[in-house]
Amino acid sequence: MSSIRVKGVRKSFGELEVLRGVDLEVNSGEVLCIVGPSGSGKSTLLRCMNLLVIPDEGQIFLDDVALTDPRIRPEWVRQNIGMVFQSFNLFTHLTVKRNVMLALRHVKRMNRAKAEKVAVSQLTRVGLADKLNAYPAQLSGGQQQRVAIARALAMDPKAILFDEPTSALDPESIHEVLAVMSRIGQEGMTMAVVTHEMGFAKEVADRVVFFDAGRVVEEGTPDEIFERAGHERTQAFMKKILR
Amino acid sequence: MTGGSSPASTLSPGSPEVRRRDWKTRLRGGAKKVFVWKIWSHVVYGGAAVVGGILFLLELGYLGVYHLSFALGALHSFLAIHPLQGFLLSLEVVGVILPVGFGLGFLVGWARTTRFVILRGLGSVFVDFFRSMPPIALIFFFALITGLELRGSGIDPYTAQTLIMWMGVVALALHTAAYQAEIMRAGILSVPAGQTDAADALGISRMRAMFVVVLPQAFRLSLPALGNEFSSSIKDTSLLNVIGWMELGGVSLALAANSIEYSHYLAGSLVVWIEAAFLYFVVTYIATRTVRGVEDLFKVPGLEVAKS
Repeated sequence: MSSIRVKGVRKSFGELEVLRGVDLEVNSGEVLCIVGPSGSGKSTLLRCMNLLVIPDEGQIFLDDVALTDPRIRPEWVRQNIGMVFQSFNLFTHLTVKRNVMLALRHVKRMNRAKAEKVAVSQLTRVGLADKLNAYPAQLSGGQQQRVAIARALAMDPKAILFDEPTSALDPESIHEVLAVMSRIGQEGMTMAVVTHEMGFAKEVADRVVFFDAGRVVEEGTPDEIFERAGHERTQAFMKKILR
Repeated sequence: MTGGSSPASTLSPGSPEVRRRDWKTRLRGGAKKVFVWKIWSHVVYGGAAVVGGILFLLELGYLGVYHLSFALGALHSFLAIHPLQGFLLSLEVVGVILPVGFGLGFLVGWARTTRFVILRGLGSVFVDFFRSMPPIALIFFFALITGLELRGSGIDPYTAQTLIMWMGVVALALHTAAYQAEIMRAGILSVPAGQTDAADALGISRMRAMFVVVLPQAFRLSLPALGNEFSSSIKDTSLLNVIGWMELGGVSLALAANSIEYSHYLAGSLVVWIEAAFLYFVVTYIATRTVRGVEDLFKVPGLEVAKS
């Protein structure tokens, strides 16, 4: 596994400054949860880490490779850093198995048999071995998100970014997705998770970052952030969220 | 939870597994769907058309003009033309217009969605130009300009005539291409941004994502509108007689005009145009049915019913 380091990243969309100099580190094999109010730039930060959004200023490193170097191909970065979206974004015209196989075939250039083998094993890993030939629209939200996780895992990434993976799900599905995520975390995957699931953050995260108005306000162990937050902005947020 | 594909059902024809195994199976399955599975609807529509036609002729017979069908037979042989000849020529023209229009429309529609400003600009000019002119003006425009260009060039009159007439066909192909370009553009734009996000996030290049992620979905979304445009452009070919094509429309005009030789001019014209309408119906019907078949082929299980 690898670490991701974010150094002084700034990003504006037109007049709106979304990221105002972010420094952040996701250590190798660590589960980092990023919490904070909506509109604070959490998702943009995550999307900067795999260059879906190109930062205006600052640097991002995967281990010691500067991803923000213009010579680095964005495709290479994304091959190595997986991403799971809030709205799953499965390819609606492909079966579950083919969703997982697509990038293996077209990016990793695997032959069909090998890609299929990887897809089946990853889908089994997230508990969907019986849905290989179903289409995304035939699955529940939780199942779709698990497919999306399998799709990211199949690329054998060095780290995975989760962008509010459970925000579009019902309580039952949330549980099944979080269970899969904690298992991956325990297996040593480097994970950056933007989430509103404080329970998950408390139990699974190695570290929690409180993010507000385009900046890291505070970071520490789950205990430090949730129970003994030092910053009053964090305290106010936690008071509203935890009850 | 909606029904997934259980192992027991995977071997029935048309199940996702069989249908999507590879493109050959898909094509074969599709042909079957279009021409075999839909037989009932051919029977219903075709039967209705035939019965309707017979009833109409009986009605004419009741009016005392049933002998017109014999008269028409004489007319056909007198003029040495027959609607079926015109029909075949119409088919030939349609056979050029639909593929050219579709291919070009696809390319222009795609060009209009790229980030390359020049391509987008060229696409817009093309669409704006060919969409804002009535097809009949376009046909004249192309034919007349070709005629003027060829004047005095020493080219033999027969070749010149052929060239001029085919330029009219080109005009129609460009006209429908402009419409199909907009249909394709709408299709491409209606594929949610999340789909390209996901392809990006997996490291799939933009160009490849276009082919394996966006276009398959855009095509499926465009099909109903494409079928509509196909049927409309088939019937636009009936304008080509203005530059001398004796296709179905031209033949019908000639026959109807010549029915003045006979006692029942109006009824004679009517029968001619009923014949023509029926033949146009046949081509349009086959084309739209085929598109419907392709729609079925691209149907995605779980997506066919609109979700609330």
